[in-house]
Amino acid sequence: MEDPKPGSLLLVLLALSTIHVAAADPTNAERLFTLKVGPLLKEKCDGCHGGDTEKIKGEFKTLTRDDLLKGGETKSDVLVPGDAKKSFIMTSVRWLDEDYEMPPKENDRLTKEQIQYLEEWIQAGAPWPDEARQEAIRVAEAKRKVTDEGVILKTSGGLSGEWTTRRYKPEDVWAFQPVVKPQLDLKPNENAIDHLIREKLAAAKVEPAPPADARSLIRRISFDLIGLPPTPEEVEAFVKTHAANASSAIAELTDRLLASPHYGERWAQHWLDVARYADTGGMSNDYERSNAWRYRDYVIRAFNNDKPYDQFVMEQIAGDELAANQEPGTKNSEQLIATSFLRMGPWDPAMVKNNEARQLYLDDVVNSVGQTFLATTMRCFKCHDHKFDPLPTKDYYRIYATFAGTQIAERPADFMPEENCEGFDEGRAHVQRLLDFAKAEEAKLVNKRETAARNWYAENKLPYKNEADRKDDPDEMKPIRHVGLSIEEQGQLKVREQDVWIWTRRLERYEPMVQSVYNGPDPKFLNARKLRMPDKVQANWKPQSHILTGGSLEAPGEEVGPGVLSALRVPVGSIETDPYLISEELSGRRLALAKWIVHPQNPLTARAIVNRIWQHHFGKPIAGNPNSFGVKGAKPTHPKLLDWLAADFVEHGWKIKRLHRMIISSQTYQQSTLHPQNEKLLNEDPNNDLFAHYPVRRLTAEEIRDAMLAITGELNPKLGGLPAMPEMNMEVALQPRMIQFSLAPAYQPSRTPEQRNRRSIYVYRVRGQADPFLEVFNQPMPNDSCEMRDAASVSPQAFTMMNSDLVTDRSIAFAVRLEKEAKTLEQQIDRAFELTFGRAPTIAEREKMAGYVIQMRAYHDGTTPKPVTYPTQITRSLVEEFSGQPFDYEEILPAYEKYVPDTKAADVAPGTRALADLCLALFNSHEFMHIY
Amino acid sequence: MNASIFTPPSRRDFLYGLGASLGSVAFSDMIAKEAAASPLVPKQPMLPAKAKNVIMLFMEGGPGHMDTFDPKPTLTKLHKKESKSTRGLETGFKFYVGSPFKFRKVGQNGIDMCDQWQHMADPVVADELCNYRGCMAESLNHPEALFHMNTGSRLGGDPGLGAWATYGLGTVNQNLPGYVVMTELALPQGGPGNWTNGFLPAYYQGTRLRPEGSPILDLPSQSFKDRRHQRQFIDQLAFLNEQHSARHPEHADLAARMESYELAYRMQMEVPEVMGIDSEPEHIKQMYGLDQKDTAPFGRQCLMARRLVEQGVRFVQIFSGGWDSHDYLENGHTARIKSVDKPMAALIKDLKARGMLNDTLVIWCGEFGRTPDNNKRGGVYSLGRGHNADAMTMLLAGGGVKPGIVGGTDEIGAKAVECAHPIRDFHVTLLHLLGLDDNKLTYYHAGRYKQLSQFGGQVIKELIG
Repeated sequence: MEDPKPGSLLLVLLALSTIHVAAADPTNAERLFTLKVGPLLKEKCDGCHGGDTEKIKGEFKTLTRDDLLKGGETKSDVLVPGDAKKSFIMTSVRWLDEDYEMPPKENDRLTKEQIQYLEEWIQAGAPWPDEARQEAIRVAEAKRKVTDEGVILKTSGGLSGEWTTRRYKPEDVWAFQPVVKPQLDLKPNENAIDHLIREKLAAAKVEPAPPADARSLIRRISFDLIGLPPTPEEVEAFVKTHAANASSAIAELTDRLLASPHYGERWAQHWLDVARYADTGGMSNDYERSNAWRYRDYVIRAFNNDKPYDQFVMEQIAGDELAANQEPGTKNSEQLIATSFLRMGPWDPAMVKNNEARQLYLDDVVNSVGQTFLATTMRCFKCHDHKFDPLPTKDYYRIYATFAGTQIAERPADFMPEENCEGFDEGRAHVQRLLDFAKAEEAKLVNKRETAARNWYAENKLPYKNEADRKDDPDEMKPIRHVGLSIEEQGQLKVREQDVWIWTRRLERYEPMVQSVYNGPDPKFLNARKLRMPDKVQANWKPQSHILTGGSLEAPGEEVGPGVLSALRVPVGSIETDPYLISEELSGRRLALAKWIVHPQNPLTARAIVNRIWQHHFGKPIAGNPNSFGVKGAKPTHPKLLDWLAADFVEHGWKIKRLHRMIISSQTYQQSTLHPQNEKLLNEDPNNDLFAHYPVRRLTAEEIRDAMLAITGELNPKLGGLPAMPEMNMEVALQPRMIQFSLAPAYQPSRTPEQRNRRSIYVYRVRGQADPFLEVFNQPMPNDSCEMRDAASVSPQAFTMMNSDLVTDRSIAFAVRLEKEAKTLEQQIDRAFELTFGRAPTIAEREKMAGYVIQMRAYHDGTTPKPVTYPTQITRSLVEEFSGQPFDYEEILPAYEKYVPDTKAADVAPGTRALADLCLALFNSHEFMHIY
Repeated sequence: MNASIFTPPSRRDFLYGLGASLGSVAFSDMIAKEAAASPLVPKQPMLPAKAKNVIMLFMEGGPGHMDTFDPKPTLTKLHKKESKSTRGLETGFKFYVGSPFKFRKVGQNGIDMCDQWQHMADPVVADELCNYRGCMAESLNHPEALFHMNTGSRLGGDPGLGAWATYGLGTVNQNLPGYVVMTELALPQGGPGNWTNGFLPAYYQGTRLRPEGSPILDLPSQSFKDRRHQRQFIDQLAFLNEQHSARHPEHADLAARMESYELAYRMQMEVPEVMGIDSEPEHIKQMYGLDQKDTAPFGRQCLMARRLVEQGVRFVQIFSGGWDSHDYLENGHTARIKSVDKPMAALIKDLKARGMLNDTLVIWCGEFGRTPDNNKRGGVYSLGRGHNADAMTMLLAGGGVKPGIVGGTDEIGAKAVECAHPIRDFHVTLLHLLGLDDNKLTYYHAGRYKQLSQFGGQVIKELIG
């Protein structure tokens, strides 16, 4: 903005005021500098033009007014007080000179508003009050509650005064403000959801879509609640009751599905996506987390039992502390198992210094707790105060301190009656067999080596010493390392030694243990292959915690105690001067944090969970980033609705099933996907922010596999238990996979179809080796929390659905079922459509498909599929560091010895294969893949 | 079919889908019109670009810089003498290890090479090489360091270099993936995390061409289904889907999904053609060492890399394992060098002969360098080296880099001391050569705009010609 007054005059006036009347009221320009321009320079310029003299860019500094006046190596007219036009800094921040686009990062560019502040300040003579005067201005400003810049949110304080007193637009920090339940003027029987959705629709002058038809509804609700398709019989029954009384039919259906144990399997998956569930630890060794499956089942149980969400949160963060306060018994196990949540991140301390390994763990757990429960990405304020949110670094390290004594360990925990312990004996025997083989192969090589060592000692007339004893002898007093072993054998020995560890570890899967935590000092050694709680823990020990400046262990700053996010204004402790601090005792820190998270006044927790629940019913959340509610996250499309749901949720005991019922019984949920003004809405509301119709969604990876198994009748509906190993693409299963010192053992499927054809939530989840089928349909990598699944259509999906063994086998099984259940081809086609789509085929479809099957019978009469054979042993090859040469070794695959394969193409008649082609087409169809 | 029901976003999704796979064949009219909206069609670089394509040869395990291109005579003098260095992970008694190899200078720029490099020492090749000795990693363990070099983050989960490159530049050939990765049979540590799209849309993911079996999983039909069968199958599917689409005009992605099946059908023919290096003349095959057991696997991949880049693939990465010589360094490095020497030299010569080297940047590197010393293993002097995050060596060729030696390590190779830069600066430089500005190539994720260098970095000007 151009100043109409002559700049020079203003400059003189301003100069006088600052020099002569230091105590006088600050001018607007001084305030502008202190509150806007100064912080701007600090944030945007000082990084490269302040601090260390060595690192200064372009010999130009921005630390003082004199620095600016002096300019840099190429420009001297950076700042011309009173004349913004002549001041090169204005050209530079406007990016008008290609060589001096400042700040150089696109994301850091000044906003129009910020450029205007700078311009006004220069026009006003660029005053730069001294520190005391600036402080006085800030103090005075901080006393004003609301200004046009917004509000100040009180926190424990930032690293700088400016940060502490900066202002936020209230609508930006909506998530940090208390939940206010809107008073609604509800008509009798009106659902609050509908009321609030329609309020916005009315404002946009859009009518809601009409109700969906009964067949769409039952398919939608079934997949939504249990992740499985309805049976044809269920569909027909529902169509009838729905015709008689739609709302009571829907309510009954909802109740039935919520009572189904498959409900927990479906909804636990959503939770495990966020928590990053896997059965291994990732990184270089990808060690087994042998008992992680117990946590997976804990989550399933929690949903099935409708465990109040506040309790669910507390158990996962502080189950061990809760358990310690209770009588010993089976109850302990449940709460200890819950703490596996704190063990879900990828972590391996191999080749990492102890303190760094601890930092990696703590940073991960702090971030995970923040994202999962508070919809707050914590790592954004680990190195500096949050750039946008009222979250100071001090609070990051207070929460970090809350976990500072949290040590990870496998702990004993009895199996409970509700846990599925089937298949333990067979599983244990299988692993034992592999362990015995590895030990035997190892022993052979060790014997060979020691025989050679004995010979060496005899030749040199020295007494024999075993490998451990001779280790520290001088070279001339002992045989060479690996004596008697060829270079290939040395490689083989390393592989076997590693295998012994891998199988030993996997045997723990069958032990009453759990991946958990305890409170105590940092252990001296950390190795992810074995982490145990010491017999005696120093209960009096207290961790010392500091702000780690810039996130660096080498730069401990101010000491901090355990605490919580101060901006939320929800007290956690009894310390009057600072109610956001937790008492310093080692034990109880996490419980205090957990109680604070589920404090009814905590504005983030309930909003976070109702937002997630809503998201999984509607395909999109109300607030766009379920893991990140901060200023930069997408704002809620319906803030009143989010608050109403959150408040109602807490008022009624944090019950998730109740929320499902409320959502499903709403007309908003029951709308058709097809809106009468479809084209208009596609253009005007392409993201369906109005919820004017129900969104179409593609099935998730797990739903596709589970639904196929359900339709073919192969699904084993058992709940819980050991990880299931389905068949996977053989090329991937046997593909070598590098781990720290050797190759990971090959993937072996479970022995029988019943064991393999379990629901996908039970599928063994290895961080280093994704299941290729689930992966191609966007199952997320478990290294990062997944707030929302991707459903991008890429052509590898077509390859998988058309050509893979997995889907081909399903099509064969489906055909076999159809032949059993229906006689004529037409009846078989009818049954196929009913099972897959929940409807009969149209006449055209029936005719066309019958023609296809008949044609394919002729084709398959002329083909002979090859029978499938399974290797019980394979030769693997590894490039050895010792020699740089590949070497071979044998690996056994005992799972295939008494293997019961699924029915394969070669096992059935040509006519069945022809019918299977139809089945395959149905599985590949749009209609099967999508929910309407 | 009424084209107006397809909203732009869904058409874009469709195109992403094509590009992410091995696509082929002309687009239909409707698609062609929207092609400009696809993020995978070529985009103008932000800056004047020196390189258009990248071929990155990744030596997994970490080659010893003092045993390849950065001679340390002092180490030879100190051989087996005690080392007091506390760097690296090894503990206990440590001793220096002289390189088992002799060195000589080759070419007009006097590039140092150990005597194991025979073909790379050909001046036609050597004069194209820039040996950069200043890069420093941060992590001492493989997966973290691999992730760091390949994705800019030690944690795994961020997008790979090729994902960023194709996000910024698209790719010339819409019928092939823009980002292709070739590995040995065994995946490197960290696996697909090294070429993931991370938080970028799935369309930028690296496509791994498998060295054995089907190059893409499930590309071929079941063995008892022939091409005619596949065609009929897709026709039936199209019939079912047309009926369905007519009932659901609200679902804008359906046509795209059906097209992905047609595309898959075409790809079943075309991919094997692209992969078929048998058509190459005999002298080319020999040049890449396809006729020798030691060099054939890497040679085949280098030749594939040239063919892919020739066809307009933006970013090709080849992983070669086995460089982690903690022991038996002489055996290990001799064999590994032999396996890559001839193919690499052939690649550079071949690119040069075809006039492609000017705009193809070839990179040879590992995830870190190695230590000048080692500890005893099993109680004996083991002649190998530990992991070194403070120094490494890289070769760069073509793509606008300046031939010669840049940067330097200290007398024993413990640490980079001249022109020393963290990996992020190397990444910024790589993007710069491609005409991309790391500060502007950003993507909003988890609360902030992310970039390859994480928090910004600087161009290593010394590397640029």
